[in-house]
Amino acid sequence: MTVSNQLTSDATSSRFGSTEQGRMVIDIRGLGKRFGAVAALQDVSFDVQRGEFIAIMGPSGSGKTTLLNILSLLDRPTEGDYHLDGIAVASLTEREQTVIRREKIGLVFQQFHLIPYLSALENVMLAQHYHSVADREEALEALEHVGLAQRRDHLPSQLSGGEQQRVCIARALINAPALILADEPTGNLDADNEGLVMGLLERLRDEGRTIVLVTHNPDLGERTDRIVRLQHGRLAS
Amino acid sequence: MVLRMLWRSFFEGRRRKILAAATVALAATLITTLFALSVDVGDKMAKEMTSYGSNIRVTPKADAMPLLIGGVDYNPLKGRDYLNERDLPKIKDIFWRNNIVGLVPRLALPATAEIDGTALRISVTGTYFDHLLPLPSDEGYRTGVRDINRFWQVEGTWPDDASESQALVGSRLAARLGVVAGGTLRLRTGDGADGPLRTVAIAGILTTGGEEDDGVTVPLAMAQAMAGLPGRIQSIDVSALTVPENDLARKARRGPEALSSEEYDKWYCTAYVGSIAHQIEEVLADTSARPIWQVAAGEGAVITRIQMLLLVVSAAAIAAAAMCVSALMNTTVLERAREIGLMKALGAAPWEIHLLFVGEAVIVGLIGGALGILAGYAVAQGVGWSVFQSGVDVRPITVPVVLAISVITVLAGSILPSRAIAALLPVEVLHGRR
Repeated sequence: MTVSNQLTSDATSSRFGSTEQGRMVIDIRGLGKRFGAVAALQDVSFDVQRGEFIAIMGPSGSGKTTLLNILSLLDRPTEGDYHLDGIAVASLTEREQTVIRREKIGLVFQQFHLIPYLSALENVMLAQHYHSVADREEALEALEHVGLAQRRDHLPSQLSGGEQQRVCIARALINAPALILADEPTGNLDADNEGLVMGLLERLRDEGRTIVLVTHNPDLGERTDRIVRLQHGRLAS
Repeated sequence: MVLRMLWRSFFEGRRRKILAAATVALAATLITTLFALSVDVGDKMAKEMTSYGSNIRVTPKADAMPLLIGGVDYNPLKGRDYLNERDLPKIKDIFWRNNIVGLVPRLALPATAEIDGTALRISVTGTYFDHLLPLPSDEGYRTGVRDINRFWQVEGTWPDDASESQALVGSRLAARLGVVAGGTLRLRTGDGADGPLRTVAIAGILTTGGEEDDGVTVPLAMAQAMAGLPGRIQSIDVSALTVPENDLARKARRGPEALSSEEYDKWYCTAYVGSIAHQIEEVLADTSARPIWQVAAGEGAVITRIQMLLLVVSAAAIAAAAMCVSALMNTTVLERAREIGLMKALGAAPWEIHLLFVGEAVIVGLIGGALGILAGYAVAQGVGWSVFQSGVDVRPITVPVVLAISVITVLAGSILPSRAIAALLPVEVLHGRR
């Protein structure tokens, strides 16, 4: 089955709510990543069920970011299998991985990464544009979902850190991805905004979203359904 | 969305884009100036070169057949055969008549200059100074050495062509005789001391740097009267606008019969000095029209070299602009690496990212090119007026050509930055590693 066929058969029916409960969104087996002689990840195996909210935790250098990069198809494992929403993605070409990423993954970054010269609404529409067709009404709906409809015409520089991160989450949501990957989403936020963003992620989980949160904050990890711990590139027992 | 992004992103890093546009504008200015001058320089240089003398000499056919023995021409007919002055208008009736910018007949005769007991054997030459030549199909054609030989310098005034007593005395002769403009000089024609004597008024002292400096130059009619040869001339110097010589023209030097029929047609219908000379021979029976190759070749060589120089300078300007744009775009790509990484992470196809940056570059190229065209024509006009004393024609073709060169320049400058965009990995820029 080709990538496009798989994507067609996996079409979701609701824009902001996930469907097809009961299937694994992430299934990795014996995953490893080496940078020359250095093994960043070794024999990592776990799965994530649809609608689950899990945290990947571990100290600095434990391989969290490397694992996140592989999960988001921004990097490739040097060994092992990775199935995303039923598709074996590790062996796909770069172009095919790009297609899978824009169709199935929503990314939330610690540093927000909003285009500085586009408004909040346009930043959300940009993800739509690369996915299919930019739709202003849908993008506005996504901003409403994160409580920022009134700030739609503001540039990132005119928004607070918490607001920028909520725009980032709206951008991750807009294409109804099978998986939301959030890399330290509260790392640059104060306590109030941290609470706001985590509350938003919990609400998304309640709506049936599958979310993988990478964090080193134990308090945040406790608010997820399950914690996957890494230690020296391996799953901690 | 693409246009909206292009519009918004174009105003990002404005200073750098203004700098890039200014660089392109400078190159476009230079290219426009050189292009305008290069196109015009052929005509202008050809006109300018005509002021350094004629490039075709027409003589009776008998004169053109030297009988050389030991390097000395013993042709008994040399100087004894003549052309008819009334045939001069025929030269303005050839295919390339509009390229004939001047023609001056000459008739030389020996004479003796006498003043205060001093007698010197000299040559008196009759010619047109500023003569209205009647043409059957036109009002007339004004021509003469004043127009053709602009390097001739006269201290005093030019003689009137209708005058039978005014003359120009060559500067070296004047020095030997101790005469000045405004004085008089007696000229005795014929070989003996009893020839007819004529007193002429010295209208001016002539300096040419040539043999005219040792003789006396008079109106043609006066020379004909002195020689007893009314309506006769010995040679015609023709000044024609010509195109630079090429292989075909050089092949034709061996004679038109050396050319194939197709080559002959092409040669005949091109304003080579040789083909114009050939056409003059066709209308003037029993004459020999010979290109003065030093002048003709000099014109061609100068024009070709100037155009080559313009080409080289333009190429250097384009290369410099492309390198500058490349450096500026590379800096832009480095500065906007996270933006590029984000687009890739969001699923943008490589061409969509290139489109954004190349689109910005094209806009910069078009703005720079448009400004350069305006500035270039202004400079070209200035150069035209200061060097050629005339403006430079604005040619519409310049606009698309220079705009295209400007855009190609920025696109060439975008090659390396585009490779940098392609090589950029989102994973390297999105997690704070850069």
